[in-house]
Amino acid sequence: MFTSIDDVIEKFAAERYICDRRIATVVYLASELQKPILVEGPAGVGKTELAKVTARALGHDLIRLQCYEGLDEAKALYEWEYAKQLLYTQILKDKIGEVIGAAPTLAEAVDRIANEDDVFFSDRFLLPRPLLQAVSSAEPSVLLIDEIDKADSEFEAFLLEVLSDFQVSVPELGTLRARHVPIVVLTSNNAREMSDALKRRCLHLYIDFPTADRELEIVRLKVPDVRDELAEQVVAVVQKIRDADLKKTPSISETLDWAKALTLLNVGHLDDALVDETLSTILKYEGDLRKGQEELRAHLAKRKAEAAATSSPGDDASKDMLH
Amino acid sequence: MDDKIVEFISLLRSNGLRTSLSEDLDAFAAVSRMGLGDRTQLRDTLRATLVKSTLDIATFDELFDLYFGGLADAMKQVETASRQALQVDDGDYQDLIDSLAEILEQMDVDLSDLAQHLLQDDTGQLERRLREAAREADLGNIERSFQEGRYGHSVAQILGIGGLAQELERLKEQLGDLDPDLQERLAKLIDQRLQDLTNMIKRMVRLELQKRDQTLRENQRERSLEDKSFYYLSEEEVRQMKEAVAKLAQRLKNVVAIRRRKGKRGKFDVKATLRRNLQYGGVPFRIQFDRRIKDRPQVMVLCDVSDSVRNVSRFMLQFVYSLQDLYARVRSFIFVSDIGEVTQMFEEFEIQEALDQSLSGGVINIYAHSDFGRAFRTFHRDHLEAVNKRTTVIVLGDARNNYNAAHEWVLRDVKLRAKQVIWLNPENRLTWGFGDSEMDRYMPHCDIVEECRNLKQLYAVVDRMVH
Ligand SMILES: Nc1ncnc2c1ncn2[C@@H]1O[C@H](COP(=O)(O)OP(=O)(O)O)[C@@H](O)[C@H]1O
Ligand SMILES: [Mg+2]
Repeated sequence: MFTSIDDVIEKFAAERYICDRRIATVVYLASELQKPILVEGPAGVGKTELAKVTARALGHDLIRLQCYEGLDEAKALYEWEYAKQLLYTQILKDKIGEVIGAAPTLAEAVDRIANEDDVFFSDRFLLPRPLLQAVSSAEPSVLLIDEIDKADSEFEAFLLEVLSDFQVSVPELGTLRARHVPIVVLTSNNAREMSDALKRRCLHLYIDFPTADRELEIVRLKVPDVRDELAEQVVAVVQKIRDADLKKTPSISETLDWAKALTLLNVGHLDDALVDETLSTILKYEGDLRKGQEELRAHLAKRKAEAAATSSPGDDASKDMLH
Repeated sequence: MDDKIVEFISLLRSNGLRTSLSEDLDAFAAVSRMGLGDRTQLRDTLRATLVKSTLDIATFDELFDLYFGGLADAMKQVETASRQALQVDDGDYQDLIDSLAEILEQMDVDLSDLAQHLLQDDTGQLERRLREAAREADLGNIERSFQEGRYGHSVAQILGIGGLAQELERLKEQLGDLDPDLQERLAKLIDQRLQDLTNMIKRMVRLELQKRDQTLRENQRERSLEDKSFYYLSEEEVRQMKEAVAKLAQRLKNVVAIRRRKGKRGKFDVKATLRRNLQYGGVPFRIQFDRRIKDRPQVMVLCDVSDSVRNVSRFMLQFVYSLQDLYARVRSFIFVSDIGEVTQMFEEFEIQEALDQSLSGGVINIYAHSDFGRAFRTFHRDHLEAVNKRTTVIVLGDARNNYNAAHEWVLRDVKLRAKQVIWLNPENRLTWGFGDSEMDRYMPHCDIVEECRNLKQLYAVVDRMVH
């Protein structure tokens, strides 16, 4: 477990995750109070990574449940392995024949089989899915329920039950209770509002796009080969572009991709042409690309005008333009 | 500390940030676990436990600063100003305070607690006294700036400023034997401290007013949207309203989802499984769980989209759309004079597209003159069969019928067959039955009739429906 907020920050740093006090406080609280964390925020700001890094920092297993539309209990909790059951019945046909024996009526035969159904609904044929894994795990674990907003409200309601007492009942087997309450991280991109009941159960953490300083720190950490000047320029451009009204605002992942690509191309610093050529790394839609370029051009023009006003004409102001 | 948190939570509540009891308990547990720490840590702790919606974070932060930072900061400012007035720097000031404390001890004077806190510059204790007095004076009820004087006065009285002033006067006299220079400086300090306390009270009252002002502002914005008639909305309000209706629909969905959980995954049913699998030679191909069979509700919604309710019908339809999304068995109709079914369309298209199409005239002529009677008769002819004792029929409309025949007998027939008939009217109840409104004729054949002019009423209707 974590010993303090600072301990969280340090352990996360060791696992290469930059985490401010606000985030660390929530993580620490979650582990102290044994409450799930609901992390909300735009895509690509490190929500999923937060869960992964928590597991790594504590040396726990990470159990991940990726949500999607139509996800149901069977896929999240457990399923019976019908194919296997089927195979066994086939192989054991004779044995089954014996059990039924000379039952005088069909009803009698059915009753006799019913007496034996324990055999087929035992651990042997149970296929545990992430939630059951987390509940039955012998070791402490971190349970990541990723993109819960993609699942349906019905699933959310079901989840609420599991999270409220960390016990799961399998009608054929009885009730399983978690030996270790896992640290639970739920993430949401706000595709829909979560129910009040779920929110009540969780601590809440909102992660927004990072400030320029923090983003620079992350870039340096995750792309160690990046040159200082390039890193600063990339972050400056991305931060600027986030002001534009885009369909998909570039996130930390895009910044990292861009910095990595440019570093691979052995670029030391950005210029207008390079930006034009590679901007599609961070802007995926045609319309966004256009808007992004406009935003940057306007920004550059303003910079140039300012530079012209403050320095003597003929100075090479282009060097600093992207800042 | 707990008291402060309780008070803070009620401040949040009065600003529309509702917390549940379990969240309040979490906040207490978290704060006691974390220790007091610095202000930032307290804020992060309270925010994580009490604020669950991203939209509320800004309000929370502002209120936190006002509440936990406000008074302490204001007191600090008063003290800074006081040093300037005395023309001393921090070091000199502390020396002065220390020497006064020493002299008081030597002279063995018996001072009141308040005088001691004040003269020894014990900001923490002073803050506590100020807050206590504020509570006793019901400072939280302040609403307007002209009340500042009155509240300031009563806080001062509760603190006992009058008595304090006399006490300090006597003290100054007792200092008479000292070296005149020192005596003068101490006398000035004492006067200044009394002045400081008065200033602190003033600042505290002002701060409180700011908090309430914000409360008022926020509440008014929300309340006005909730109370605003669907008929008169600005463009911005239309946008907000759409969001609100969407939220309402989501809430509805969540409630229903949780309710449905009660019918859990059933137990494996051996007998039924074997019975079902006889055709496969008893090999269980298809598994049968026993499930409680639920009495599935059916809803039929008839939504008026005529000109007289143009503004309203979009919200109504949005609401109908979400209903359909929610319950599997909803059939949606729109009508003016013709009536047309849009169930299929609502299923196939995204909400915006579906609404646009319904209101574009493709399904029915929406520029016709309203004729509820005709629309009802058509419904009677084509769809009465589908109404049965599990069906709830909801009519959304103003019942303004252009003096056409009302044909209320249709509703009577529907009511006989249906589980219930609900009529939601977006017009003010006072106008029902006047002019071409046929509400009086329709009402007797409905089980529930509600005015549904604004968001608040729509909320109420929904609450009734899901509970
Ligand atoms: N604070 C951070 N420190 C280090 N890397 C980060 C941080 N935040 C995000 N990242 C990186 O950004 C990328 C996107 O993060 P991810 O967790 O997938 O985002 P989300 O789940 O919010 O969509 C990952 O490569 C992650 O490593
Ligand atoms: Mg993710």
